Amino acid sequence: MTQDEDRRSPFLALVGATIEEAREGYARLSLKLEQKHTNPNGVMHGGVVTTLLDEALAIAVGAARGVDAVRAQPHTAIEMNASFLAAAREGDELVVEGTLLKSGRTVFFGEAEARKRGDNKLISKGRVTFVIPKRPA
Amino acid sequence: MVEAHQPGQRSAFVEEIGAEVEEWIEGYVRMGLRVDERHMNAHGVMHGGVATTIMDELTGALIASIRGMEVMFAAPHSTVDMSVSFIGGVSIGDDLIFEGRATRVGRSVAFAEAEVRKRGEDKLVAKGKFTYVIAQPRSAA
Repeated sequence: MTQDEDRRSPFLALVGATIEEAREGYARLSLKLEQKHTNPNGVMHGGVVTTLLDEALAIAVGAARGVDAVRAQPHTAIEMNASFLAAAREGDELVVEGTLLKSGRTVFFGEAEARKRGDNKLISKGRVTFVIPKRPA
Repeated sequence: MVEAHQPGQRSAFVEEIGAEVEEWIEGYVRMGLRVDERHMNAHGVMHGGVATTIMDELTGALIASIRGMEVMFAAPHSTVDMSVSFIGGVSIGDDLIFEGRATRVGRSVAFAEAEVRKRGEDKLVAKGKFTYVIAQPRSAA
């Protein structure tokens, strides 16, 4: 499933993240930061980590719902927030873990953390809310 | 997460995504993105990270346009918090515009908002709020 998911998310492939683990309500991604992930000051662009927080939780929701349910009616993020606690640089490896707080029938709440592999320093923390949109009547 | 732009200069990550700076004047920045296959998520709609990245870039640039380049290089501003609503889906071929405004640029903190629309349409696709902290000035020594 891991590689399959990876192939099906072109933007995650562009970012270059790896899905390390995905099980019901939990997912872990990692990314070794390269020059392409930086902003003009040479540190990681905030958009890299917001992408990973969002993706880790989208995968955690997908793993909770199951492949068939997701295929029939995909979930979509409707709201997210994140705090940026520390900068990360080229060469750093980020580990992003997403955990669901609640899985409902229509709404899923999750929180995710990005830490630096090695010293485990907290780089970013965020929350994402997903909904399964109703089909048009 | 430190936004150290020169007018028109983009982050490496934003170049990778392919968004363009269309206008950059004091207090107003507009960016554009033609959505293609590489911006998609696993469900075939635009990944939320594409929008959050460009909104972050836009609000950082917007605050830079107000603070001025010299002031900013002496004491860069960095995003500390963000919050985004994803209001409408975006698909391949859509032409997006990103616009923002600074709510307040103070001495230590700056607040900005960004809105995303399909070009020529009023309907919002996404809206975000970004909060920046301004570093202590680097000492001249």
